[in-house]
Amino acid sequence: MRTTLRYTVLVVMAVIVLFPIVVTIINSLLKPDQIAARPPRLFPDDPQWHSYSTAMDAGKLRLYLRNSFVVAGLITVAQVMTAVFAAYAFAFLRFPLKRTLFVVFLATLMVSGEVTLIINRQTVVALGWFNSYAALIVPFMASGFGAFLLRQAFLTVPQDLRDAAALDGYGHWRFMFRVVVPLARPAIGALSVFSFLLAWNQYLWPLIVTESDSVRTVQIGLRQLRATSIDQINVTFAGTVIAALPIFVLLVLFQKQLVRGLTAGAVKG
Amino acid sequence: MPRLVRHRRRLSLSRPIAGLALAGLVLAACGGGGGGSKGSPTAKPSDLPACPLGAIAKAASKPVTITMWHSMSMANEATLKALTDRFNASQPDVRVQLVNETSYDDTLTNYKAALGGGTLPDLVQIQDVDQQLMIDSKSILPVESCIRADKYPVDDLIPRVNAYYTVRGVQYALPFSVSNPVLYYNRVAFQKAGLDPDKPPTTLDEVRTAAQKMQASGVTKYGIALKIETWHLEEWLAMAGQPFVNNGNGRDKRATKTAFDSAQGQAIFQWLAQMSKDGVLQTMPASGYDNMFAVANGVAGMTVDTSAVLGTAVQLLASGQYKDVSLGTAKLPGPGTGGGGTVVAGSALYIPDKNAPEKQEAAWRFARFLTEPQQMADWAAGTGYIPINEKSVQLPTITDLWAKTPGFRVAYDQLLAGQENTASAGALIGDFEGVRRAIVSAEESVFQGADPAKALSDAAAQGDRAIADYEARVGG
Repeated sequence: MRTTLRYTVLVVMAVIVLFPIVVTIINSLLKPDQIAARPPRLFPDDPQWHSYSTAMDAGKLRLYLRNSFVVAGLITVAQVMTAVFAAYAFAFLRFPLKRTLFVVFLATLMVSGEVTLIINRQTVVALGWFNSYAALIVPFMASGFGAFLLRQAFLTVPQDLRDAAALDGYGHWRFMFRVVVPLARPAIGALSVFSFLLAWNQYLWPLIVTESDSVRTVQIGLRQLRATSIDQINVTFAGTVIAALPIFVLLVLFQKQLVRGLTAGAVKG
Repeated sequence: MPRLVRHRRRLSLSRPIAGLALAGLVLAACGGGGGGSKGSPTAKPSDLPACPLGAIAKAASKPVTITMWHSMSMANEATLKALTDRFNASQPDVRVQLVNETSYDDTLTNYKAALGGGTLPDLVQIQDVDQQLMIDSKSILPVESCIRADKYPVDDLIPRVNAYYTVRGVQYALPFSVSNPVLYYNRVAFQKAGLDPDKPPTTLDEVRTAAQKMQASGVTKYGIALKIETWHLEEWLAMAGQPFVNNGNGRDKRATKTAFDSAQGQAIFQWLAQMSKDGVLQTMPASGYDNMFAVANGVAGMTVDTSAVLGTAVQLLASGQYKDVSLGTAKLPGPGTGGGGTVVAGSALYIPDKNAPEKQEAAWRFARFLTEPQQMADWAAGTGYIPINEKSVQLPTITDLWAKTPGFRVAYDQLLAGQENTASAGALIGDFEGVRRAIVSAEESVFQGADPAKALSDAAAQGDRAIADYEARVGG
């Protein structure tokens, strides 16, 4: 009885959450006049697959997707690397002002991106990076959140392992890469997915530091598609599906890591 | 007047020599009768910053490359690109690069960000209602300077369109994409309901009668589909010659208060409320085209939308998916009092004044090129915007288009027919968005049954606050 009730609630929730996604996919395959028809259609009897190729070619999503992969990929790699080093220092090294520095790291999490938008833009322009990959990537190569998340994970490494590694003559580098990083894999996996997600979904920053198609990212391309005329509204929906697909795949593949990683260290800090 | 003085002060500091050299040219242009038809007091030439004509000739390297930010997509973008290619191929001195900033809102956001630290565009397409913001940004070379210096025959453009972009005798931007709301109706539904499809309604009372007739005879479910939009109030006040904000719609002096909570404004809200209460009006979301589809699907007999959507509508209907529909296009019905005209809508081209002089001159040359007769004709034919150059309409590009689809002519005629005064010139408000938000939420509450008189006065109070906030921050 309780199981039945639980499943009923879960199914209802799933339908509510999935409905907009399903409608987006269906609308991408309908003809424009079918999208506007009342009552709405729930099955494309004549699927308009070409809306996808139109979005890719005429809508230039192919180019924007490539840029997004380059930018989000490099940001993810850089963020994970800097976070591992910073977290290791905060977790295992002793140095002056350690606590203060850690608080400063945390403080950066409290400042929203909008606050620093204009000044960051001026910096990037002054460095001559306007309209380049550097402007899109460099400001995001390190994050306070990443250092915080991994520090919490690293702190769960038992003292015994540290002692054992020291007895075996492991220095910091070997201890970090042979012991700590493998043990913190769930947290590192979660951070990777999370960084990629945030980088992929950026809109305002890429918009204001770029001006040519060769470096612009997929979210900007999507916005351009949105302004499409009504005779091609299905192309907008197709573009939305295309832009969301990589994130969707990533979430499905790394779902376990994401949940486990973000809660890792929650009980010990 | 303080505004103009400020311009001069800034420019005489940055480019004193160019300013002196050009004063002579400007005087000459004035003697030739340029810019005399503005209606409002004409600015003295010495009050204007100088248009850096001749800077390209002195440029260190040629061609001078400039960037234009626009917000056009698909067919409109393709047309703009073709015109840009034509310009680039037509002369060796200037190369124009287009940058798509995706939407008017994002263009403005990006422009504000760029004001802080370089990388301003050389030419930028900005939405109609952001004019006061652009003036207040103090980053604009008024095209007035170049119109006079270059002796551009600006009187070829529809005077009311220039009037929208002219404030106290100074034209700030060159109009480019211009549209106007018009009435779309289903001729077949009119016929079936016993109405004459060749005599569409011209006043709000007639709209009401026609709507009721179509609904009562069961031809359509609703008489008219209307977006929840501030257009109704803005346009119908302007058509009645009534101001939207005080101080001559913000054109004699900066606006300090809204003026739409007037007898005429109340009558308009009363009309909307009654139409909705009687169930002859179907409300529609402001974005998207659900209202057009309601007409196409035979759900409603009429709707109001921008003239710019006509091209797409014609294309869609030609596909033969809709039966029993023959699209009629007519001038926007109004309160019927006369005394004004519909407000110009769309966007215009602004030249930022922080870039190198040769780039400013190049931007002016390109803006000028885009509004010349043949280009404006091609632009209108390719996009559905109004050909605002009166010489364009004599060219085959436009005469053929109008012969084939007379509906395209309606918005042009409507603009020419309107009377020129501060009401029909349109309101100038720094925080136009804030005022519009107040009106939209008032309309929403009225459509849910709230008292229209109170809703409108609440909106006026909220609008007043938006204006006061902006003036406290920026105004002067």
